[in-house]
Amino acid sequence: MRRVGIVGAGGISRTHADRWNQMPGVELAGFYDIIEDAAQRAVQRSGGKAFSSMDELFEAVDYVDVCTPGTAHVGPVVAALEAGLPTVCEKPLANSVADCEKIVEAAERTDMPLFVAMVVRFFPQFAKAKEVLDSGAIGAPGVIRTVRSGSFPDSSAGWRKGLAITSYYADFAQSGGVLLDLCIHDIDFQRWCFGEIERVFARGMMFAGKEPKDHALLTVRFANGAVGHIEGSWSYPRGRFATRIEIAGTGGVIEWDSRARPPVEVALAQEDGSLASSGSSPTAPQHDPYYAELAHFVRCVEANEPFLVSPYDGLMAVKISRAAIESLKTGKAVTIG
Amino acid sequence: MSDIRIGMFSFAHMHAASYLHFLSQMEGVAIAGIYDDDYDRGGRFAAQCKAPYFRRIDGLLDQDLDGVIICSENALHAPLVLESAGRVQGILCEKPIATTLEDGQAMIDRCRETNTKLQIAFPMRFAPPVMDLKQQLDRGVLGEIFSVKTTNHGSMPGRWFVDHKLAGGGAVLDHTVHVIDLLRWFWDTEVEEVYAEVGHELLYPGLGIDDVGLLSFRLANGVFGTLDTSWSRPESYPTWGDVKLDVLGENGLISVDAFEQNLQVSSEEDGKTSWVNWGSSGDEGLVADFVDMIRADRDPSVRGEDGQRALEVALAAYESSRRAEPVALPI
Repeated sequence: MRRVGIVGAGGISRTHADRWNQMPGVELAGFYDIIEDAAQRAVQRSGGKAFSSMDELFEAVDYVDVCTPGTAHVGPVVAALEAGLPTVCEKPLANSVADCEKIVEAAERTDMPLFVAMVVRFFPQFAKAKEVLDSGAIGAPGVIRTVRSGSFPDSSAGWRKGLAITSYYADFAQSGGVLLDLCIHDIDFQRWCFGEIERVFARGMMFAGKEPKDHALLTVRFANGAVGHIEGSWSYPRGRFATRIEIAGTGGVIEWDSRARPPVEVALAQEDGSLASSGSSPTAPQHDPYYAELAHFVRCVEANEPFLVSPYDGLMAVKISRAAIESLKTGKAVTIG
Repeated sequence: MSDIRIGMFSFAHMHAASYLHFLSQMEGVAIAGIYDDDYDRGGRFAAQCKAPYFRRIDGLLDQDLDGVIICSENALHAPLVLESAGRVQGILCEKPIATTLEDGQAMIDRCRETNTKLQIAFPMRFAPPVMDLKQQLDRGVLGEIFSVKTTNHGSMPGRWFVDHKLAGGGAVLDHTVHVIDLLRWFWDTEVEEVYAEVGHELLYPGLGIDDVGLLSFRLANGVFGTLDTSWSRPESYPTWGDVKLDVLGENGLISVDAFEQNLQVSSEEDGKTSWVNWGSSGDEGLVADFVDMIRADRDPSVRGEDGQRALEVALAAYESSRRAEPVALPI
């Protein structure tokens, strides 16, 4: 039985804790958070114990899962690696390139496995698109477009209610807005598909004073000459969240749209005569992307195999996001150094 | 915990390749060997999974097997099951169970006598969109169920599938059993009466077997419905076929399109646009369930009798079409 401890009891920690609790051979040891209440609440919800210090948690576990906000990754991740513990780091690897470099350096120095949780690579439709691309079915890379657009992750709704994390998202100086928090998924996915990115040009609302709304349109040029487009949004009307993939090459095109007709559609007449309709796209539990990424972490650590996402991939995604923000500020294309 | 040793009996049915794929990804499962009466085909799959190839059934049955998976031509299910019964704990037999009720009954009887677990391969029970529908039906969200409109369209598979001696029937036998099995499972009920219009060579002139089927049925629980079993998806169509279920009840409608989780891929090389499925395959759940049945020494979740009842509906559909009148079941 492997024991895993979660550092940071906010937002994503619940998603991870649920998956750890489902995973055979793994036990959730508990949480550490600088806000003790948050750790206690997480324990009540997900089990394990609330640790009073990070060191106490490190003593009790085989793996560490860092789920703090991106501004607070570097401390716990470097400490966990130095404690000799294989570590999961939620995306982004860190919010600044400097922090990312410190983390990558620590991973190299300690030679401990560090997995950056770029979950989009584990979404079955994104993984399949990459597989089809790699099969050569659409020829050589040409242009890739992806979309990740929804409403602002509001603190008034659902399980997020009352979490401090939402004010973090709204503070773009902290969260980096959609370019760092959301588009990073697409930057990583596109880079995974088409290779290194040479330069970026961005337009967006990050500095338009419309917080918490944000919206960005990003243009990228790859080292192989191909181009890419990314839309990321916290300005879509609530309930219209959409992701989309379009990859075109010399021999064809791959398309997918989350808003296409779902495999299960339910239309029920309500007592007041109105219609309640909903759609869902269920997959098997082991193909849930959050489960799949954490199971991948465990499998690779046990087998001493490299992860699908390297610390360097995590660093590059942040570097490109930061370059996009720089482009917004300067109005110029930014070359990735 | 020692490995569960599985023998694969024939790759005549293409589902075998998918079962093998998912078995080889599972921990605690060993492919003990492959038997196929087609030397090239058997050898190819044996090389692919690095398992020995056996030219004779006995040779593979001697390999200390825990389970066998039988994906031969339909008419050969019976001899393979009869031979395997008593020599393994569990048998997973491709659908339809057999080409005649006599064969199916002999298989069920022999397995019972030899204490062998006989499971029929109905992977749609393990497709997440269908499982989702089953859960909603179990919760009763639709209230009283009125009707169900279903399709299981396919591509014309050719080969032995269109040879009456080996297949036992064309589109109607091939594609009646999946959906009928789902309906029996949803409501723990039986088909009480079936009326069918079977079409021969309506889509493929000169085929020599039925390629179109429309079944109209009434279930014992009062639900009525239809099923289209036609091989009406040509080469140029973006995918092989579908399983679609529209369930109508007093509170509303649930529509399931079990193979709707697709990328659309347009390839110059293929000269067409295809749908590439990224959903969770029912085959994965099916073989995992089969292995779990052996490991846990429990009853099959889909029994030989389930296969027999589904076969009976298909045979009754042919009978109905010949007589141009509804046929009552059991026949």
